Amino acid sequence: MTTRTFAALGAALLLSTAAGHAAELVVYHGWSSPAEVAALNILKSGLEAKGDTWTDLAIPHDSGASVSLVNLVTGGNPPNVFMESNPGVYRDLMSQGLSLDLTPWYNDNGILAHLPDSIQKVIAVDGKIVKVPTALHIDGMVYYNLAVAQDAGVDPHGWADLDAMFADFDKIKAKGYIPLAIGGQQWQVGYLLHALTAAVAGPEIYSGVYGTDPTIETLDSAEFRASLEMLRKFQQNTDEGSVNRDWNVTTNMVITGKALMQIHGDWMKGEWYAAGKKPGVDFGCVNIPGTKALSVTVDAWGLLGGQPEDKTAGELDFASVVLDPSIQADFALAKGSTPVRLDAPAEKLDDCSKEVLGALGDVHKQVPNPHNTADEDWRTAIDIVSFNYWSDPNMTTDAAIEELKEQFDTILG
Amino acid sequence: MSVADVSLRRAGEVPVERAPRFPRKPKGISGRSIAIIVFLTICAAFFCVPLYIIITTSFKTMEQVREGAIFSLPAPFTLDAWWSAWDTACSGIRCDGLKVGFWNSMAILFPSLILSIALSSVTGYALALWNVRWANTFLFVLFICAFVPFQIIMIPLIILSSGLKVYGTIWGIAIVHAVLAMPFLTLVFRNYYKGIPQEIMSAAMMDSGSFWRVFVEIILPMSGNILIVVLILQITSIWNDFLLGLTFGGLGTQPMSVVLANVVITTTGEAAYNENMAAALLTAIPPLFIYFVLGKFFVQGITAGAIKG
Repeated sequence: MTTRTFAALGAALLLSTAAGHAAELVVYHGWSSPAEVAALNILKSGLEAKGDTWTDLAIPHDSGASVSLVNLVTGGNPPNVFMESNPGVYRDLMSQGLSLDLTPWYNDNGILAHLPDSIQKVIAVDGKIVKVPTALHIDGMVYYNLAVAQDAGVDPHGWADLDAMFADFDKIKAKGYIPLAIGGQQWQVGYLLHALTAAVAGPEIYSGVYGTDPTIETLDSAEFRASLEMLRKFQQNTDEGSVNRDWNVTTNMVITGKALMQIHGDWMKGEWYAAGKKPGVDFGCVNIPGTKALSVTVDAWGLLGGQPEDKTAGELDFASVVLDPSIQADFALAKGSTPVRLDAPAEKLDDCSKEVLGALGDVHKQVPNPHNTADEDWRTAIDIVSFNYWSDPNMTTDAAIEELKEQFDTILG
Repeated sequence: MSVADVSLRRAGEVPVERAPRFPRKPKGISGRSIAIIVFLTICAAFFCVPLYIIITTSFKTMEQVREGAIFSLPAPFTLDAWWSAWDTACSGIRCDGLKVGFWNSMAILFPSLILSIALSSVTGYALALWNVRWANTFLFVLFICAFVPFQIIMIPLIILSSGLKVYGTIWGIAIVHAVLAMPFLTLVFRNYYKGIPQEIMSAAMMDSGSFWRVFVEIILPMSGNILIVVLILQITSIWNDFLLGLTFGGLGTQPMSVVLANVVITTTGEAAYNENMAAALLTAIPPLFIYFVLGKFFVQGITAGAIKG
């Protein structure tokens, strides 16, 4: 830490001659829960060590359309740094000359070599790198209660595929536990489907549905059909209270030992930590059994372009704080996420992050979250159709695929 | 419009209360009254059950909330969630609780109230009691404007207010509140002042004839009832407003409703349900308080003029 401070001081001294270089940055984000705030404070102190100041602007509404950010830009009051994944927003900013092309900065600092493949794909929009990735989450992971697993005599690490998992369900039910707790909300089901598509159908089919250039033929493929059928199997195995249940409440069912496990995004870890539980002691985590690929969510920052030199220098300070390997590890530990850098110091990581980073070393086993790549209307349409399919047990897979194809024609045809 | 409906209904009740009392025959319990009681009980439960859950949850510990029995009573009973909601809950990286938003809301409330009431009462007065050219056309335009949803003109308003250099300030919010409330409030004031006898105006014209003197010395002192009505309408709508505060608030001027949303809404973060419930209740207290204290005057004001047929 002291060497880092010295290095920062030295850098600050060097730079202070070049420019005034004490930029006040308005930082726009959507985080407010204790773990998220703890993580942000790590970035804030890193930024302040460089002589810049952090002015906070928090609006936690994940509307997908980034209305508040757009409003700020329209009002001539855009923040310097903003948490945003949607590529459409970056395209809008580019057209207004407010986007900062970070490609040279990434190349000069040799950062790309240390980022997993799926992250390299999502930080660029139309060929230019515009995002600074800060946290990595896996959209579908199995988090389970170790005590329940032991009592029921099952080992989630031993399941070779999802069928093996379902085969154990009777054993778990016999002990009086709910095998699988799932929150039946539209967005949760949508996340489950794309995580299952990555797991069951693999990366090619996944990008044919959720990628930048989806094709209607993919919707007809046997692999995608298998993913939908797997979704149906999940739906048939939900518990009674699943309808419209928050993922947090669902996680609490696993924490309190009513259910064995939950399959959802690995931000579940935050709720376990908030309850004072430890990985490896109270809970275990494992990727979806037999998964062909992991769907990766990247929370990323954008930097405002077309600014005076000192602001731009401050914004780049921010980027270098976010992508510092050691800060990455501290940040991930505080938030319950996984570092975006493969070279983050391993001794700081918990078991779950190690499992994730281990899997992400393989470039063929990862796909980006559709929020980062897919057309927003198309992504929403998939969510709606898959949730109708989920909610109506009589709807056939054929009908769901037909409906998806109709939507595809309307939106992208 | 719903407020007007309620007040109309209330207005209808008042004459009955004032009518001479006739002894009524005691009614026996009929099938009809049982049906009504059952229906009303169901209606009451519809609102009370969620409220019960909100209140009990706010006094529970997170350990108890995790157990998932939402109808159970708090054990142990604790005020911790209320304190943390007020004092330490995080809105962004600032963890000073809802009190920040409370004071911001107060700071927004007073300029917005003064500005909106001043603007619309003077306009209403001019339209009702003076010969203004195109008065009816103007009134018609205002009437139409009352039906334009804010969302349609949000972006133009942002551009206008940033042109006026008030975007992102408390005055920005106050001005937008005043402008958006103007159509409806002007109509309320105009209708109320229309009821003032022509003789009073004629006498006032003989005495002074000044637009402002008549307004300040004669009309305003007669406006007590309607001012209370408008005050209650405006306080509740400004306090409960979310979108204006969010859109025009900017840095450090976010009202309580926005801070509440910041505390409560989370997508991938952990949720402290007890704190969330306490925060929601805290935010609801001020308008409730206003209704309890001024509610009586509200009915009086409505019936004294204004919307009364």
